[in-house]
Amino acid sequence: MSIRCVDLIKTYEGGKAGWPALRGVSFEIKAGEFVAVTGHSGCGKSTLLNIIGLLDEPTAGQYEFNGRNVLSMSDQERSGARLGEIGFVFQAFHLLNRLSALGNVCLPLMYAGADSAEMKERAAALLHKVGLKGKERKTPLELSGGERQRVAIARALANSPKLLLADEPTGNLDSVSSREIVDMLFGLNAEGITVVMVTHDKEISARARRNIRLRDGRLEE
Amino acid sequence: MRALLNAVKTGFAEIWAHKMRSVLSFLAIAAGSVVFIDAFSAIFATYDRLEKQKEVSGMARLKITQNYSQTYASPDDYVAPPAFTYDDVVSFREKMPEFYMVSPEVKDWHDVVEYDGRRMVTNLMGVTPEWIKRDFVYKLRGRFIDWHDIENKLRVCVLMRKSAPPPTNGFFKSMMKKWNFTQGFDTLVAHNDLLGKTLKIEGFTFTVVGILEELPYSKRPNIILGSSGDYKVLAPLTTLSHFNFISPGQSLDVSIDTGDEKTFDESLRRIKNFLKIRYGDDEFFIIENQLELIRERIGDSIKASLVTISLGMLAFIAGGIGIMNVTLATVFARTKEIGIRRAIGASRGDIMLQFIVEAVMLGLIGGVLGSAIGWLWGGPVKIMVGMDPSDIKAWMPLVSVFIAVLTAFVFAIYPAWVAAGLKPADALRAE
Repeated sequence: MSIRCVDLIKTYEGGKAGWPALRGVSFEIKAGEFVAVTGHSGCGKSTLLNIIGLLDEPTAGQYEFNGRNVLSMSDQERSGARLGEIGFVFQAFHLLNRLSALGNVCLPLMYAGADSAEMKERAAALLHKVGLKGKERKTPLELSGGERQRVAIARALANSPKLLLADEPTGNLDSVSSREIVDMLFGLNAEGITVVMVTHDKEISARARRNIRLRDGRLEE
Repeated sequence: MRALLNAVKTGFAEIWAHKMRSVLSFLAIAAGSVVFIDAFSAIFATYDRLEKQKEVSGMARLKITQNYSQTYASPDDYVAPPAFTYDDVVSFREKMPEFYMVSPEVKDWHDVVEYDGRRMVTNLMGVTPEWIKRDFVYKLRGRFIDWHDIENKLRVCVLMRKSAPPPTNGFFKSMMKKWNFTQGFDTLVAHNDLLGKTLKIEGFTFTVVGILEELPYSKRPNIILGSSGDYKVLAPLTTLSHFNFISPGQSLDVSIDTGDEKTFDESLRRIKNFLKIRYGDDEFFIIENQLELIRERIGDSIKASLVTISLGMLAFIAGGIGIMNVTLATVFARTKEIGIRRAIGASRGDIMLQFIVEAVMLGLIGGVLGSAIGWLWGGPVKIMVGMDPSDIKAWMPLVSVFIAVLTAFVFAIYPAWVAAGLKPADALRAE
């Protein structure tokens, strides 16, 4: 797993010249790293994470994901990479409230084409791993914030990704839950998964092996 | 396949979660199905009747009747049209031996029949054995009038046994009661086996040699041309003439089946020639071309059905637009969900499939619902309100469901394409 970005520029439409979110960001992330992306609100952290996670495209610049030039990848290839190689954990959890915890974890497995029994077995095992044994049938609305984020982590791990992208995963949680979630992410990193995490929390960024600090869309050395 | 099953599962969950919206979509499509089934059953019933009518009237049926509507400059110029007598018919038959049927007939109205001390009114019809060649829609018991009866002017007759009237409303029932003078006679024939018995018609004794049983209304093909004659008692034409039931000057109507549609025009020319040579002018007679008449009626009926079908198609399109609207609304309401699904790996194709499957399910359920309503409307409901029930074939609901599904599919493509085109990052930001 490797990420290489050179002069990434992202400009959102609006106004005459558009609104620049990233203004030439270059960095590399190697397999197994735990990278904290920090910076003030609106500095472009989430935009960078969306680009790294193939949810968005840069306006200009180069981005190589696992040695492949992302700009030349088709939508099918990007979807395939998101499905099999990348896991997402969002601040707002982004779970489907209509589905149970198990159903939410099953979703990526379903898109990967797993059969029903295999899917349920794997999803249940992941929920056990994140400490939600016995809560498989609960819907997100019946779970606490910390538990929802655990479901989201289980879902992100469904197809054994090499890269986990977390966008302020503790932003909506109390301190106890935050610590548990962060510990869990560090634990996953220790298992060999590369973690890129957007955070405001200085304590977390201090624990991270590496920091990428953004300021007004640029890297701050 | 698994993706499809999952899309179906999600579709059911969505339909269940938005019951009112789904029911309205079902109804929009169902309306199309109902109209479609009604229109198609009408068209096919018309075709069926055409076929049956052709069988009964023959492929080349004509009728020669006296022309009463000639116009003259002054009353003094009026020349009574010559009568087509039995001798003329015999001569005509000799000249046209290859025709399948040359059946002369003459009616005598309001004859008094006496049987077992009861008196009632009936209509008498003078015919020859050729009459039976056309109306085989009747079931015969006993025998029909034969050439021996004709030659010897025997007083024999064949009675017509009426079938039960079709379901109708109160108004028509009361009208029938008021105007049907021969009801007593119909009841007599219906409730007594008169085969072999004798009865008196206007004082003359006739022996009943046969009973013709009318087919039930549902199996009768002559609806399209209206009543083909309210036959009651058939007797040899020569007998009626001999016993003065009909006056010597009375002209006969002659029904002709030339037997071959291909030589029809040639036959028509020969018939006209015959009339011209025998009477000096073929304007004294009208030659009714029944096949032409049937075709005209069928044409009118098909035109009317096409209008109904267009309405059905419009209803389907309206239903389709309804589904498109609902699907678009669903796409906008579920933008965030689309973002989430895209983020965890769903491709554009997966998203498109999801929305198309949901819309097709709306169409499928609506189509099934509409077919059920269409069937109920075409059968039980129509009978209840006193209309003729539609002849709904088994394939009509199937085709109607197929069109409903196809409509939903076509109209879901655009919303599904919109959904699939959303950028994952933008969709995730949606509130």
